[in-house]
Order: sequence, then C-alpha cells, then structure tokens
Amino acid sequence: MTTIRRVAIIGGNRIPFARSNGVYAQSSNQEMLTAALQGLIDRFELQGERLGEVAGGAVMKHPRDFNLVRESVLSTTLSRQTPAFDLQQACGTGLEACMVVANKIALGHIDCGIGCGVDTTSDAPISLNEKMRRILLDVNAAKTTGQRLSNLLRLRPGMLLKPEFPRNVEPRTGLSMGEHAELMAKEWAISREEQDQLALKSHHNSARAYEEGFYTDLMTSFNGLNQDNNLRADLSIEKLRSLKPAFDKKVAPNQGTLTAGNSTPLTDGASSVLLASEEWAKARNLPVLAYLTFSEVAAVDFFEQKEGLLMAPAYAVPRMLKRAGLSLQDFDFYEIHEAFAAQVLCTMKAWEDETFCKERLGLAQALGKIDRAKLNVNGSSLAAGHPFAATGGRVVANLAKLLDQKGAGRGLISICAASGQGVVAILEKAGE
Amino acid sequence: METIEVHTPPGLLKSSLNVLRSGKKPAGPVESLPEVTYVIPRTTVDGAHLDKYRKVCGFTAAQGVPLIYPQMLTFPLVMQFMASKHCPWPGLGTVHLANTVEQYEALHCGDVVRVEVSSGDLIAHDKGQIFTLKLRIFRGDTLIWRATQSLLRMAVSNPRGTIYASSLDADLPLSRQVDFEACASIGRRYGRVSGDINPIHLSAMSAKLFGFRRAIAHGMWTKARALAILLPDHPVDEACATVEFKTPLFLPGVASLWTHGNHDSKTFELRDALGQKPHLRGQLCIG
Repeated sequence: MTTIRRVAIIGGNRIPFARSNGVYAQSSNQEMLTAALQGLIDRFELQGERLGEVAGGAVMKHPRDFNLVRESVLSTTLSRQTPAFDLQQACGTGLEACMVVANKIALGHIDCGIGCGVDTTSDAPISLNEKMRRILLDVNAAKTTGQRLSNLLRLRPGMLLKPEFPRNVEPRTGLSMGEHAELMAKEWAISREEQDQLALKSHHNSARAYEEGFYTDLMTSFNGLNQDNNLRADLSIEKLRSLKPAFDKKVAPNQGTLTAGNSTPLTDGASSVLLASEEWAKARNLPVLAYLTFSEVAAVDFFEQKEGLLMAPAYAVPRMLKRAGLSLQDFDFYEIHEAFAAQVLCTMKAWEDETFCKERLGLAQALGKIDRAKLNVNGSSLAAGHPFAATGGRVVANLAKLLDQKGAGRGLISICAASGQGVVAILEKAGE
Repeated sequence: METIEVHTPPGLLKSSLNVLRSGKKPAGPVESLPEVTYVIPRTTVDGAHLDKYRKVCGFTAAQGVPLIYPQMLTFPLVMQFMASKHCPWPGLGTVHLANTVEQYEALHCGDVVRVEVSSGDLIAHDKGQIFTLKLRIFRGDTLIWRATQSLLRMAVSNPRGTIYASSLDADLPLSRQVDFEACASIGRRYGRVSGDINPIHLSAMSAKLFGFRRAIAHGMWTKARALAILLPDHPVDEACATVEFKTPLFLPGVASLWTHGNHDSKTFELRDALGQKPHLRGQLCIG
C-alpha cells in the first residue's frame, strides 16, 4: 500500500481547433491525435521515453480505430513500450482521461502519463443502411451458395443511397443537444441577449489571449493552421443578435434563444496533457504548472425526471466542494465549458437558486454567485470550438497555465456531456 | 357628444368610394375635433370570418380570438368616420402612425358585442398633425377591449395639440427571431378579409397611381403577422399590444422579426430582410 501522491500537471499541447468540413476535413482522428501528442513529446523532450500510460479517446470513432490511442502513440517518437488505451465519456472524455491517468499516478501505479482526446465531425464514420447491413450479415452467415445468392437478391440499389450518418441526438429523447439546451434556457429563463453577451466575451477573451501570446506554448500548428479558426476577433454584439435561432422548431417554436453564434459549432481537433508525480518532474527538471487535486462525475435523469440534459455539472460541483471543504467562491478561475452559452448561464443560475440547491442538490442554502470576471478568462468553447473529446485537454492545460502565471491559486473545471453526465475537477497551485 | 347608431353599415365598395370622395377637405392644421361616437349596437363575432382572418395573418385556432382581431369589428365605423364631415382630413394621404390594442377579457366566437368608435385627441408631431380614434368593444355592459388608432396628416405646419411622445423603449437590444415572407397577393387577401381595399395595398399598378413604387402591406396585417408569432399557442385574457409603423413593407417582400424580452413582455421590431430598416416597432404585454 502506497500513500497518495500529489499529481502534477506539467503542460499541455493541442492542435488549433478547426470548424468542421474545413481545414482538417481530410485528417483522421489518428493523424490529429498523433500531431497533438508529438507536439507535447517535443516540448518536454520525451522522445524515446516509456511513459506509464496514455489514456484518451474520441466520441466519433470509426470501428477500425478500436485502439486509436495506442495506434497514435505508435506513430509518435515515444518509446513503443508505452501502453495506451481508449475510453469514451462523450464531451467529458478528455477530462476523464486526465483524471484516470492522475489517479494511477496518485496511487503510485505509474509515475507519468498523458490524458488526451480527439474528435472529427468531418471524417465521420458512416454506417451502412441498417437493412443492408442485416442482409450482408445474413450473406456472411449463409452456408450454401444458394442461400448466399438468395440473400444477395434482397439487396436494393436504394440502400446504397441511404446510409446512416451519425447524429447529434440523444437516443432516449430523440432531441438534439441544442434542443435540450433550448429547453434548459426556457426552464431557467435565460434570455437571448445574455447568451449573446457571453458568446461575445468568449471570443474577445480568446482573441486577447492570443494577442498576449498565451497559447504559444500550448499549441502546435497543424495543416497550416496556427489558431482556432472559429475565433472571430472582430465579432460584434450586433452580428450575434442578427442570427436566427437554430434549435427552436421542435421545442420552442418562435421562442428560440440559441443560435449558431451562442452555441459551439461542430469542430475537429485534438489535445493532450502531460501529468506526472512530483519526483518524476523533478528528476527531469520539469516545472509543475499546477496540481490536479479533486474530481467528480455526476449524472442526471433527463428523460423521466426531466432534469436538464446538461445540468449534471451543477450536481457534480457541490459534491466535490463538500469533499474538498471549499465553497463555490473559493476559486481564482472558473473554466465552465461553453457547450452552449445557455448551459453556462443555466448552471450558474442553478447554483444561485435557493430552491434548486435545497430541493435538488440537498444543500442547506444556495451555493451563490461566482465572480464573472474569473469565468473563462481566456475564452472557452464558443470561441475555440468544441471537438468533443479534445475539450477536456484544452481546458486542463489552459487552467494549469493560468494558475502557474498567477503563482498560486485554485481553479474549477466543469464540463457537461451527452446522456446527462458532468465531469468536474479542481486544479490548485500552492504559493512558494 | 353626438352619437350615431349604425345598424347596417354600407357595403365595402360604397364606403371605400365615400372615403375616396372625402378628398375635398382642406389639409391645414385642425383646431379641434368634433365630439362624435359611431356605434354598432349589436354584432356577433363570426367564426367563419375569424377563420379567414387567422389564415391570412398566420394565427392558429389554439390561440383563440387573437387580441388584435376585434379591430376588424370596428372597421366599418372607422370607414364611416373617415368619409364623414367629422373627419378633419381627406381619407387619402392620411397615414396610419400607431395602433394600441388593450384586451381585458378574451373574446369568443358567437359573442354578441357592442362596437364604438369615437373621435379622440389632436396631437402635434414633427411631421404633421395627428388625430386619434378611440375604439371600444363591450360585452353586455363590460368594456372588454379598446384600441387607439393614431392617424397622421403629413406636412401640416403649426400642428395643434399635445406634443407626440412614443411610449416605446427605443434602447432595448433586439435579436433576430424569425423571417417570413409577405407574398405579392397578401394585400388583396387581407383587403378581402378586413374590408380595407385601399389601392396602395392591392397591386403594384394601383399603388403606382398613388405614388408608391410597389404595393405595400397593410400596417395592421404586419402587426397581426408579428403577433401571430409572438403570442403564445393558447388564448390570453389580459393583454396589450402597441405598435408604431415606421416604413412601408413593399410586396412581395421578406421581413425579419426582432425581439427582446420574455413571455410576458416583449419589445419587437419588424425589419427588412437585411435587418436594417424597421417597418414597425412594438410592445406586447400579457397579463
């Protein structure tokens, strides 16, 4: 039995995120993840090193990519003896991967590792038409030529024209993520203007961070791109107001508040984070940016009890705060993943709401307000884009660097995920 | 106050011609309005007509009798006033500037009501002089609905009356909600349902005779079309909707609806397809 060790975040690296069907349209998950990993390896001179483990995943994955992370590791200059595995928890994948690696380090099972994630909505897997797939399975199972032929005769040319595309839809409700977020905005009375203002701030914060060079050592260029191409530095509130609601037809006809401007677009990209024990970092003279100290995962019942699909972080955070003995206000930075501006605003409103905190979270009182000046200070997903599994790595690396720049402090990460889940964590840096 | 009871309003064409014939009046400033009320003592809310109105304006049956619909019942009286000696100016060339409707109780098909149109106030405007008409609807002895029509005569110098002040908040940030098409025939279709067959709404040709390059949508249709989108999908009791008409919506055309606010209180603007030029600005309050 070993004692639990502090888990250091040494640094992160990602490729710039690109809007779907654009610059990375021809790039596979494996290519993008390899690029993100190789950048990290080069930055911290890990060529030929055997790391404890690399964990990561993708939400949209081809069946052939069953060992996506290990295959990517094999394409880098890491030692081929570095083990790796895939995991998937929707948009929580990247952060969950960091947490899994961190826990192994904390327990002394490994000394260092990488948490990573990648996603492409451009190079998406397309399945055969379900009827066609059944027929082909029957053909495959047939024992005689006659059976094979009679099954083949069931095929129709139309089946080729109707493949199954992956959809951003919750299987249990049939509603898209955006429609669920629209329902949440309705429940929490979040106005269009609030959402647009939050989106504007995300773009402006991110643009400022680029100008200050914040992202320089967090990124390596890929396919000629050296900055997230969803970012609009010249975005104006007037432009955001001029966009029409995108998810209202089914759930809030003519009352919609979510637009393409205040929702994240489909995005391609990859990110990675290097985690290690303090001894490992010290032995290599690698400075520690921050420590990953707490994490929590929560899930909500969004189909029978009708809790908002993306409200799970609102449940996860107070549980984690209780274990950490902290209040919601004890943070210097809040990184709340902007799946939709409405998700961030609903979460904050819920934490301020006495009834919600008492009745649904079982707390004695409301968690209270957070200082908006500390929220997503260098932009978040609305500006950067959101390649599902890559967002966690982006957020962890950003926050670790922010804490390192500040010298000491504490940051909260909150990420909502499909199927009513939420992944949250605390990063800390103690003053010298 | 003079009261004129109207039991059988003149036919559509006749009253329209009467308004056209009222063109001989002087166009100068008016010192005072005659105090007069036109009354239809008994009329029934007709379901078949309501259906036609819903169809042309985009309301659904689930929305009940829309709060703007009762104005249809006042139209014959308004036309009679406009054609009469009581109306200060000729009907033609008088611009519909603003309209406010207030509903205290929902109306239902088959309701028997009393309809009144009275002369209102004189108001001085930057661009001329305004007179208002007060429209009221009673069910039994209860006032359940009332409206104010503000009609502007352009280029009246030295207008009399209190100074015009908009009741609408001009600073609220509006965001785009939905676009809709106003098809070429909408002026004719709404004209048939409403009785307002002003040639400027009917066709490009007839509109040109009156100085418009194309036909323009009825102001009250644009207001109704916007309310069809903004009102909830169930009947409302107490509600109020004010609009100021800004620029004509030429037919055929695409308009965009911009809104701010929540379910109970909304400020809205109907703009052109680019979202730059406003056709009307308004406010809707429910409850």
